[in-house]
Amino acid sequence: MAFLEIRNLDAFYGRARSLHGIALDVEAGRIAAIIGPNGAGKSTLLDSILGLVRTTGEIRLDGVSLAGRSATEIVRLGVGYAPERGHLFPFMGVRDNLLVGAHTAPRDAERNLRKVFDLFPALEERQNQETGTQSGGERQMVSLGRALMSSPRLLVVDEPTIGLAPKVCHDIAVALRRMNEDLGITILITEQNVNFATRLAQDVHVLETGEIRLRGSAEALMNNPHVREAYFGH
Amino acid sequence: MQLARPLLGWLAFGVVMCLLPAFVSTGTVRILIFANFLAIFAMSWDVISGRTGYISFGHPFLIGIAAYTTAMLTYHLDTPLWLSIPAGVLATLVGGTLFFLPALRIRGTYFALVTLAFMELMYQLTQVIAPKITGGTRGLSGIPSLVSGAIPNYYLTFGLTFAIGLGLWFILRTRVGAALAALRMDEGAVAASGLSTIRLKLFAFMTSAAVAGVGGAFYVHYLGSIAPRGLFDINFLFTILVAALLGGSATVAGPILGAYFLTFLLEYLRPFLPGPERYVIYGTIALVVYVLEPRGLHAIAHAAVRRLRPSRASAAASP
Repeated sequence: MAFLEIRNLDAFYGRARSLHGIALDVEAGRIAAIIGPNGAGKSTLLDSILGLVRTTGEIRLDGVSLAGRSATEIVRLGVGYAPERGHLFPFMGVRDNLLVGAHTAPRDAERNLRKVFDLFPALEERQNQETGTQSGGERQMVSLGRALMSSPRLLVVDEPTIGLAPKVCHDIAVALRRMNEDLGITILITEQNVNFATRLAQDVHVLETGEIRLRGSAEALMNNPHVREAYFGH
Repeated sequence: MQLARPLLGWLAFGVVMCLLPAFVSTGTVRILIFANFLAIFAMSWDVISGRTGYISFGHPFLIGIAAYTTAMLTYHLDTPLWLSIPAGVLATLVGGTLFFLPALRIRGTYFALVTLAFMELMYQLTQVIAPKITGGTRGLSGIPSLVSGAIPNYYLTFGLTFAIGLGLWFILRTRVGAALAALRMDEGAVAASGLSTIRLKLFAFMTSAAVAGVGGAFYVHYLGSIAPRGLFDINFLFTILVAALLGGSATVAGPILGAYFLTFLLEYLRPFLPGPERYVIYGTIALVVYVLEPRGLHAIAHAAVRRLRPSRASAAASP
């Protein structure tokens, strides 16, 4: 049994169905990536895991069904979420932004804050800086840090490299790998940056028009002619 | 240290306001009573609109429920005030729940318009439905007072303002306060962080309704009369809004500061501009302040105090 199991998942915005029969497994302790173009349904899939959109089908975390649960319950069960472009609170300082993420795990707040600052020392130096005045890279760090504050067992991250310079992307990859290896957190990311995704993740799923088209190891997918044509143009 | 300085500020505010009646005329004390009520209403408005970003245009609806409930209970049934006032506040909490329901589905302009409809609905209801009970267009008069005289009423209303202000300040300093502020900035991100946005909004709406209820109930017993035209009125609504925004939204001290400033401004303009032209003047002043410092008088006062206070470095350097 996989740590995260998704079976026959459909997601809806009103009457429009944006995911079609998704089946996906993420094994405990692994990093998995979902790649796909704009509008493929990547963010919807992550929102579905968090219970933020209407879905049918089954999502199980470590054997526990997430169906019908609120986002609060799902985060309490161990799912941390770093949404696309961070979605930070711009007029609040770094520390306050992080502490909003600690609402579901208030007893671990200080310990988790230490973990975040160990991963991202720059944030400790700028604890009181309003996040609206920070660079894109720093905001992404705060977003990941805020997700970490809920003591997650599964971290879902939506397009962590969007709009970031290559050097910052590298730093984000290092931080995600440390979260996975040092803190034992299973990670599921979505990405359009296929190079980033295939270098970071062990398992990759290709999502197009709301359906999983391909899946396999990062290496296998990099050699797949469809992926090469669609994402690298050769 | 983090807590000591603001608490000292509250203490100083309390002491100054308690001593004030000894130095000003009875007329000024009466103006201060209205300022206290406006401060309570502005704080109540700010809990919903300043904190969560759900702009309420129907706050007189909440104030009116408490005011009418306690007025009708005492007028028709001779209910003692210690019973009628809590009943008014409880009725406002029920009204607050009605107010909250649209916030589950809509926000922004749509929410503001729905709340405006609440106020208009209440205005029509008090006139059309059972006018014998509500007093219809003319309202009810001869409603008993809690205390008589300017000074006792001043201390009563200031005590309420102070207690509500301090209570809100303590509540909004907690993690819940931070979460409410986060809600205003990005509701989706709050949900994604695992917080129940419904519970947070319900908390804000109920707190706001309770404060509006307390203010409304005491207000009607101070005035001794109630009429729909005075209460469910767009000028009354905008005075509350401007007090909160001018003073400094999303703070507790801001709406209090705004209420005092605005009440005195309107009163001092009265001899020169007895008609509604006054509202043009105060609207202009509000606009100028808002353009110069969108965070309001509270931010201006804060900056002035910081400038006056010698910096630690210069204090250490000075003999």
